Amino acid sequence: MIDMTVNIGGRRLKNPVLVSSGTFGFGKEYSNFYDFNLLGAITVKGITLKPRKGNKPPRIMETSAGILNSVGLENPGLYSFIENELPFLKKYSVPIIANISGNTIEEYSLMAKELNEHVDFIELNVSCPNVKEGGITFGTKPESVYEVTREVRKVTNIPLIVKLSPNVTDIGEMALAAENAGADCISLINTLMGMAIDIYNRKPFFNNVVAGLSGPAVKPIALRMVWQVAQKVNIPIIGMGGISNWQDAIEFMMAGADAISIGTANFYNPLAPKEVLEGIKEYMIENGINDLREIKINGGVK
Amino acid sequence: MRREFCKIISNFRVANNVYKMVIESKSISKEALPGQFLHIKPSQNYDPLLRRPISICDLDQDKGGITLLYRVCGKGTRLFAEIKPGDNLDIIGPLGKGFPIFQNKKSAIIGGGIGIAPLLILSKWLKEADIYLGYKDETYMTDEFMNYSDDVCIYTESGSRGTKGYPIEALEKNINRYDIVYACGPKQMLRAIKRLCEKNLVECYLSMEERMGCGIGACLVCACESSNNDEYKKVCIDGPVFNSKEVNLDD
Ligand SMILES: Cc1cc2nc3c(=O)[nH]c(=O)nc-3n(C[C@H](O)[C@H](O)[C@H](O)COP(=O)(O)OP(=O)(O)OC[C@H]3O[C@@H](n4cnc5c(N)ncnc54)[C@H](O)[C@@H]3O)c2cc1C
Ligand SMILES: Cc1cc2nc3c(=O)[nH]c(=O)nc-3n(C[C@H](O)[C@H](O)[C@H](O)COP(=O)(O)O)c2cc1C
Ligand code: FES
Repeated sequence: MIDMTVNIGGRRLKNPVLVSSGTFGFGKEYSNFYDFNLLGAITVKGITLKPRKGNKPPRIMETSAGILNSVGLENPGLYSFIENELPFLKKYSVPIIANISGNTIEEYSLMAKELNEHVDFIELNVSCPNVKEGGITFGTKPESVYEVTREVRKVTNIPLIVKLSPNVTDIGEMALAAENAGADCISLINTLMGMAIDIYNRKPFFNNVVAGLSGPAVKPIALRMVWQVAQKVNIPIIGMGGISNWQDAIEFMMAGADAISIGTANFYNPLAPKEVLEGIKEYMIENGINDLREIKINGGVK
Repeated sequence: MRREFCKIISNFRVANNVYKMVIESKSISKEALPGQFLHIKPSQNYDPLLRRPISICDLDQDKGGITLLYRVCGKGTRLFAEIKPGDNLDIIGPLGKGFPIFQNKKSAIIGGGIGIAPLLILSKWLKEADIYLGYKDETYMTDEFMNYSDDVCIYTESGSRGTKGYPIEALEKNINRYDIVYACGPKQMLRAIKRLCEKNLVECYLSMEERMGCGIGACLVCACESSNNDEYKKVCIDGPVFNSKEVNLDD
């Protein structure tokens, strides 16, 4: 019997295959393709305290082996999420990770407090502008990562995941700040900041000028960052960024990830999470690996 | 809605850069409704990465045939054009909300360019609609439309076939004959039709296009402006067919 379980902040996931925030809606849409109870956990679309309309289209552009997106956190707001979206997912036994974004530490804290009894994990999306700091992204300064994590930690007793932005010079420093502030787990990477230009109109393609890059194109960067974070912290890591198949997933685990998460791949292959899970299992059997943890570090990259 | 690897029955050019492809799927064709689309993976690798939305143009529900009509305009559609009969395509569908079908109402169908694609199957199901088709120069699929309606008017910008001009000019003259107008085509055309129908209190359904990610309502990238300013509509699941009153087509 092989053991694929993963422990995050005292909670056991039955396997390491997760789906990423913003790429899986609130679940409903993908329930036509396979049984959710197969998944390690589901991370739902990023939510904010108040409803958000999101950015003016266009919101997506295909790049070489990737996509740029500019959704702008469109979501129905915290309370509508709890009331209208959660009940569907609760029908399954799969753990739910709520991904939250705020413009102030108070907003993050309030949301975490309200969600505490409703979900299994909270994931802090720190790739948001901190209004009180002149709009500098929380996730680009170790002090603000520390502060927001510490404050949220105070109001919630469910496992807390901090999702790092890759748009920084030293990702290890950010991970360490989150760990020191009491995070149970680090997830990375969020989208990389990119840009596209409409050469006929001499204008940026997106109204926001910049947009978030994801998909296979970002995988080597994500892998490197997971590896760097693994050298720095002792808490579990959820690796993501461009994972398309089980081989990618194994690579992330060898770089130091305890679990992996599938984002953009859901768009072009709605069965990707199931296929990745099956692939990891087969790989373990073929290589005589009984415990997922053996894939990681010591048993991992040599 | 399902994901299936479908066999290609035929795939050939019907006009400059315009192709007609017939694929086989008993289950998808059985479920499909006029106005719905398929989300098709153009390549087996990661470039191009995303699926392409293509409307269902015709259905042979007994044999499981689904006809698609597409214009080659980029990476993905160029790859579609290279597909050979016997190959397989990775398809999700049928997706989206189609055209509502009413009995005993007098309908007009108006299409511009490749926008005629979803209107063929609609003409077949409506049986007695008047059809207005507009092209730049070269025409295609006109015989197929004539199989389903006795009243097919053809317009070309160049005047090479049919009447020179735009189909909306004729629709405008006849607008009071209709209870419902169905339209698909370039955005400026849809904008004009929306205005025309709303001015004349004629119900109007438009099939819209927007770039897509998932195609099933999960990623929110296919937003289009709605007449309710507080929210966007999702073209993939709220549409692609909308009542003209639901959407805002102003720039
Ligand atoms: C609901 C729906 C139904 C459609 N039905 C048809 C049809 O029956 N026949 C047909 O020829 N075309 C149809 N289109 C347009 C078709 O999807 C695009 O022409 C096609 O995606 C272009 O892909 P490409 O790789 O050739 O172009 P590229 O420019 O290389 O594509 C780059 C990216 O932009 C997207 N994109 C580019 N143009 C469009 C567009 N007009 N609409 C949506 N996404 C776009 C592509 O999907 C891709 O993600 C439909 C679009 C929608 C939304
Ligand atoms: C359309 C889209 C929306 C996203 N929304 C969110 C979000 O709301 N919150 C968040 O933390 N990450 C969000 N992400 C980032 C993903 O969760 C993931 O971190 C990133 O896309 C990298 O993984 P991938 O390459 O597998 O997609 C979004 C990504 C995409 C493509
Ligand atoms: S394409 Fe993903 S929500 Fe419409």
